[in-house]
Amino acid sequence: MSDVIQQDTPATTFRFNTRAALTHAVLIVGALIVLLPFYTMISLSLKAPHEIMQQTGGFMGSQQPFRDDFCVKLGNAVEDCLVNPIIYNYTTAFEKAPLLRYLLNGVIVTVSIFVIQVFVALPCAYALAKLRFWGREAVFALVLFCLLIPVHAIALPLYIMLAKLGLTNTYAALVIPWTISVFGIFLMRQFFMTVPDDLIDAARMDGMTEYGIIWRVMLPTAIPALMAFGIFSIVAHWNDYFWPRIVITGNRDLFTPPLGLREFKGDADGDNFGPMMATACIIVTPLIVCFLLAQRRFIEGITLSGMK
Amino acid sequence: MKRTLTAMALVLAATAATADSNGEKIVVEFGYPYSHLFDVTYEAILPKFYEAHPNIEIKMRATYESYEDGTNTILREAVAGTLPDVTMQGLNRQAILVEKGIAKSLEPFIAAEEDFAKDGYHQAMLDLGTFDDAVYGLPFSISLPVGYYNMEVMAKAGYDETNLPTTWEEVVQACVKLRDAGVDNPMFWGWNITGNWFLQALMWSQDKPTVMGNDFQLDSEEGLKALNTMQSIFSGCEMQNLEWKAALASFSAGDLGMMYWSTSAVGAVERAMGDFTLVTNEYPGITASGPMGLPAGGNSALLTSTSDDPEQLAAAWAWLKFITSGEGAADVARTTGYMPPNQAANEIILADFYADNPAKATAVRQLPLLREWQAYPGDNGLAATQVIYDGLEGIVTGEFEDMTELQEELSDEVQDLLD
Repeated sequence: MSDVIQQDTPATTFRFNTRAALTHAVLIVGALIVLLPFYTMISLSLKAPHEIMQQTGGFMGSQQPFRDDFCVKLGNAVEDCLVNPIIYNYTTAFEKAPLLRYLLNGVIVTVSIFVIQVFVALPCAYALAKLRFWGREAVFALVLFCLLIPVHAIALPLYIMLAKLGLTNTYAALVIPWTISVFGIFLMRQFFMTVPDDLIDAARMDGMTEYGIIWRVMLPTAIPALMAFGIFSIVAHWNDYFWPRIVITGNRDLFTPPLGLREFKGDADGDNFGPMMATACIIVTPLIVCFLLAQRRFIEGITLSGMK
Repeated sequence: MKRTLTAMALVLAATAATADSNGEKIVVEFGYPYSHLFDVTYEAILPKFYEAHPNIEIKMRATYESYEDGTNTILREAVAGTLPDVTMQGLNRQAILVEKGIAKSLEPFIAAEEDFAKDGYHQAMLDLGTFDDAVYGLPFSISLPVGYYNMEVMAKAGYDETNLPTTWEEVVQACVKLRDAGVDNPMFWGWNITGNWFLQALMWSQDKPTVMGNDFQLDSEEGLKALNTMQSIFSGCEMQNLEWKAALASFSAGDLGMMYWSTSAVGAVERAMGDFTLVTNEYPGITASGPMGLPAGGNSALLTSTSDDPEQLAAAWAWLKFITSGEGAADVARTTGYMPPNQAANEIILADFYADNPAKATAVRQLPLLREWQAYPGDNGLAATQVIYDGLEGIVTGEFEDMTELQEELSDEVQDLLD
């Protein structure tokens, strides 16, 4: 944005560059396409149902109180059921879908997954990168092979295994299938390859054990790579709709945040878009806040893992 | 590993046993679709149920996001051995659960009831959940296709409540008049409703089932008539190919004069519509005498309990019966656009309600036309649904112009899937 303004103000050192202008124009269009759904999401979360369906009221809607029909149907007086759209949308999101509970579940699940993934991936990656043993290449080939398997292909066998163990409808079912991340192993192995052997040899000469080396030497050097991996892992599992939907069929209290969206679906009988979009806003907020706080790391991470 | 598993199983069994002996309340686990629509219904029903059955507790499971999701979930839970005691399933998805032996026959419970017919369970309703002469499902919420009219738009072409179209020919005439009066988009016809519902509506209108056994019936005279009727509606009205949400939104915004849709959306439309008068009226027929039958949509309660405990089963039956009869059933109509298929609830408890809510009364007047929403048998049922859907979409977009050709093509392709 600032570049566009700059181009309007005459500066002595400034030279119009068609190429840069074109690049920015394309980027701005791209940014608009990406931002438009967010705009709609926020706008719908502020408006009353009739404004949403009739597509009136601009960004904010008129904020006139409207009648909550569900409240009337439960036998309350009409005057008691007049609600302000914003308050209605957001309170419904928190009450009807107990979002705080879902957010807590989301945190528990994503953090457990990430922590266990790190515990598994770091030693594996270290072994694959720095230790010489028989069959190392074969093991690494298997890791690469596993990268090619889409989760949807193995969802059913995984489900049946968990079911036989009686683990469906538990936190375990949400966490266990993701604890071994071949992507994590691959990413960390690639990173460890770049760590000089001298560092490890020095540590060995100082009498450190192999595990000591992993946690006290390799881990600190690997922080940027871990950040990158963490971003992928947390974003993927925070937003995952597919797997929680498969394994959580009994207890609504185990829902992760995205499953909260389904509470407002009505298909041919009309969806309740206001609270649905309010839920969506609340779900993405933690990720956006994290992104803003760790913006630089985030971009570093993407370039790092961008298969340079 | 084996030892830990055995230990875990023992612990689980032990906790289950203690729960049984301590718990005075019998817990009935219950799953249902579309929480946005039905939460309010169960919220209204539950206090009444608890009053009548203080020793039973209903545990609501995670809701299904759609009928298809509901069926998928039950099929998965059957593998995992975690089935709920009672589940709500789309009317056209009951058959598969009966075939696989997941749903339990309700006959023993019905036999034990003294006044089953008096509770308002009439034959047409029981037929919807009857397979091989045994009742498996009791319908809970029923919808039928109806016509929605925006009276202000209709008035532009000289229509009022007394002369709304009653045949599809008249609908097309109305479209022409509305267009002449400056209405761009006069009508929407819900061909895209799940399960080829509206094709089945045109077939039942001529008293013809869409499938008989494994035979797809589109290759009949009635089938061709149904396709031709659709084509004349779409082309005569120059109907736009809108998806569900867009169609409901256009009608709510007051752009459309007529919309043919399920009665279940009345509640949603009333919530979302602009400042105009909504009138619902009988679904038009192919002939002047009106439709001879219409497919029922909605969901049905099935008993899927795996328990052998007679007390547990009795509790599940008590809940199943409560929500499909009497006050429980009446709350369906009070809280949603659906109606209970229960005669007693409709005629006695809800008589005043329908007088106050004429938009919801149309479907009740059509109740005698109630017919089955047919599932396509076999493992390719969903694929067959999709093939037909694509065919119908081709009529809307104008891709298919020769209906005889389309009839032949669809019949062959679908029949292959069903054999």
